[in-house]
Amino acid sequence: MLKLTGIVGMVSDSGLGEALHDLAHEDRVETIILDRRDMLRKRLRTVTDKGTDCAIALPRTTALDDGAVLLLETDRAIIVRARVETWLVLKPADTAAALELGYHAGNLHWRVAFRGPLLAVAQEGPRKDYLARLDAFLADGRISLAHD
Amino acid sequence: MTEPLSAARVGIGGPVGSGKTALLECLIPAFADRGTSLAVITNDLVTREDAERLQRSGLIEPSRVVAVEAGACPHTVIREDPTLNLDAAERLEMLFRPLDLVLLESGGDNLASTFSAELVDYWIFVIDVSGGGDIPRKRGPGVLQADLLVINKADLAPHVGVDLAAMTKEARDVRHGRPVIVTNCRTGEAIDDVVDHIVRNVLFDD
Repeated sequence: MLKLTGIVGMVSDSGLGEALHDLAHEDRVETIILDRRDMLRKRLRTVTDKGTDCAIALPRTTALDDGAVLLLETDRAIIVRARVETWLVLKPADTAAALELGYHAGNLHWRVAFRGPLLAVAQEGPRKDYLARLDAFLADGRISLAHD
Repeated sequence: MTEPLSAARVGIGGPVGSGKTALLECLIPAFADRGTSLAVITNDLVTREDAERLQRSGLIEPSRVVAVEAGACPHTVIREDPTLNLDAAERLEMLFRPLDLVLLESGGDNLASTFSAELVDYWIFVIDVSGGGDIPRKRGPGVLQADLLVINKADLAPHVGVDLAAMTKEARDVRHGRPVIVTNCRTGEAIDDVVDHIVRNVLFDD
């Protein structure tokens, strides 16, 4: 188990770029991919894409972010990447349906994004579970599925 | 100067009467045996009942148990605005440093309560067989999202007409492989497994 207790910097930092570039050429950069929800954590046990068992224990005042560098040594670096999110995009038929859908999504504690006339719901579980909660809306045409 | 590492924080939530305080009463001596420096925060609606139960228990130094009175829906102080609990955790860390672990018990709530990742590093949702074998099927956010689901009161299953094996299977199915542990806090059954999960995931000294 490798304990990681701080953030060295970001991959975009000019001071780290050269070292990371060189290590990447030698395939010595390991990546930890985290869900958005897990990015909020300060302590977690996880595994890099190369199988290194990691224990992340950050100070409470530190926040993980996409591109955070947790380890930078001469022969290895470990960086964090946010998992690409999938969104369920919904199109309300009219204003009344939009109001009802917004209320429903709030009641279900869904994380949403407003995309003009569309409501996007972050899929933090199986898609069928989200669709099951929308059955009645889809069945009577109050909403339809739109493309992301 | 490097900021000292803070204590790990583990939340325990679940419906009223599912056995959250009973689980705490099992975890406290188990962690004491491991030499883990521990403190506890309990959340009640408008009383300090759970804190006082633990303080009287003789299991832990009473000053290591702090009560937070939510005053409203219990989930608000563990999810929407965890300020009261964050303050309590920081106060305990100052008083008892070096502290390894803070266990935060939520007030009893419904199947929708979840913990903010701002407050805890890991959280457990406790349900029990007498609440109904259909609880996992209802896919409440607590059941789905918790890092660890505990199904407590295993011994009561035959008395309340619950097929425990089926309930456990459904719990594993809806959680897509995330851990589920069946316990009996009255006898201490499977408490070691719960401890192992906490140790592995946030204490890191496995």
